[in-house]
Amino acid sequence: MFTQYFGQYLLNKNYLTPQQLHEALEVQKETRLKLGVLAVNAGYMTADQADEVNESQKKIDKRFGELAVDMGYLKEEQVEELLSSQKFGHLLLGQALVDKGYMTLQEFEKSINEYKKDYSISDEEFDAIQRDDVEKMINRLIKIEASKDEELLKSYLALFARNLIRFIDTEVIVSDVVKLEEYNCKFVAKQSVEGEIALTTYIEAEEDSFIKFASKFAEEELTAVDEMAEASVGEFLNLHNGIFIVNMSNSGVELELTPQEVYSNLRLENIYKVSIGLSFGEINLLISE
Amino acid sequence: MSENLTKILICDDSILMRKKLRESLNSCGSFEILEATDGEKAVKIYKEEKPALVFMDIVMPVKDGITAVSEIKEFDKKAKVVMASSSGTKEHLKKAIKAGAFEFIQKPWEQEQITRIVKNLDRKGE
Repeated sequence: MFTQYFGQYLLNKNYLTPQQLHEALEVQKETRLKLGVLAVNAGYMTADQADEVNESQKKIDKRFGELAVDMGYLKEEQVEELLSSQKFGHLLLGQALVDKGYMTLQEFEKSINEYKKDYSISDEEFDAIQRDDVEKMINRLIKIEASKDEELLKSYLALFARNLIRFIDTEVIVSDVVKLEEYNCKFVAKQSVEGEIALTTYIEAEEDSFIKFASKFAEEELTAVDEMAEASVGEFLNLHNGIFIVNMSNSGVELELTPQEVYSNLRLENIYKVSIGLSFGEINLLISE
Repeated sequence: MSENLTKILICDDSILMRKKLRESLNSCGSFEILEATDGEKAVKIYKEEKPALVFMDIVMPVKDGITAVSEIKEFDKKAKVVMASSSGTKEHLKKAIKAGAFEFIQKPWEQEQITRIVKNLDRKGE
């Protein structure tokens, strides 16, 4: 998930064209991470040092790690650690960009540092975000305008993002939360949470995205907003809200759900809207308190 | 449908969940599968058909699953009902047990859970 955010960041900064990003995202599936990118990302080496090692590799038949140790840029323990570390998605993207020649290693290093600075992200938080710790990512990256219960909305949103990743699509980009006085829904599934906490939540989309979303969850190809498509989006919302109220129950708050309903062309007032980009289109999560 | 097949009632307001559960059940054996879209219809079908097993959702329109289980158990103390719901809160678990459900499965269920429940049914029927 962080890969998409980072890719989006590179686009916003005009470091890449959408076409280059798209190609790199495709290529990264087959990309193998090289130690140089890992070492630069970890801050163990500068990009210039990594380039120096790469240059030496052309003359001396040794692995990157061995050479870096010989040249005094890395310790053996660091090589071990890097080789056994988790392969972060955005690094695959970075490697693909470097391999494709869209960015130099220096530019990649610079963009990572800018990213941390722009979002005031500490090294520890960056580490969590790299590991796709959705909770931390939502907290850092998503801004919510004054709400009665910002923490609750954030944890609801983080759970929603996790459930999207679990059941629908691994490519999830959550945008900022905006408060709207009114909003006209195209196709929308609705369900209310009742009790100490009262929320009504909606999954809304244009016809095409609604059908694709429904197809993903139903695990079958649907072609229209028919009874099955409505049931599918409704059931995803129900499943998500079910997990939400089970989590709340585990922390001592008992809540109830209303049966899910599906509408077309529904007008809502005073709602929070979060647009969520998925690989096949966009959906909106709407929440009214 | 043959009269000899074991009857199983699925009660869920979602056509998708009924279909998924029907597919899960069909992959563990041959059954006569009955379907209800709310608690009220489930009680009515139970009284007419006396299925060997009921899968019951909780949050449904018209009549919720907990009320429906209570009414089914009132009619038939030996009724075997499994709650199958996405909202397995402590409160729902408590209410389901009190109403007389013998098992609670949290959606999304695993095929093994359905297989185990159906196998236990076979054993107890022998």
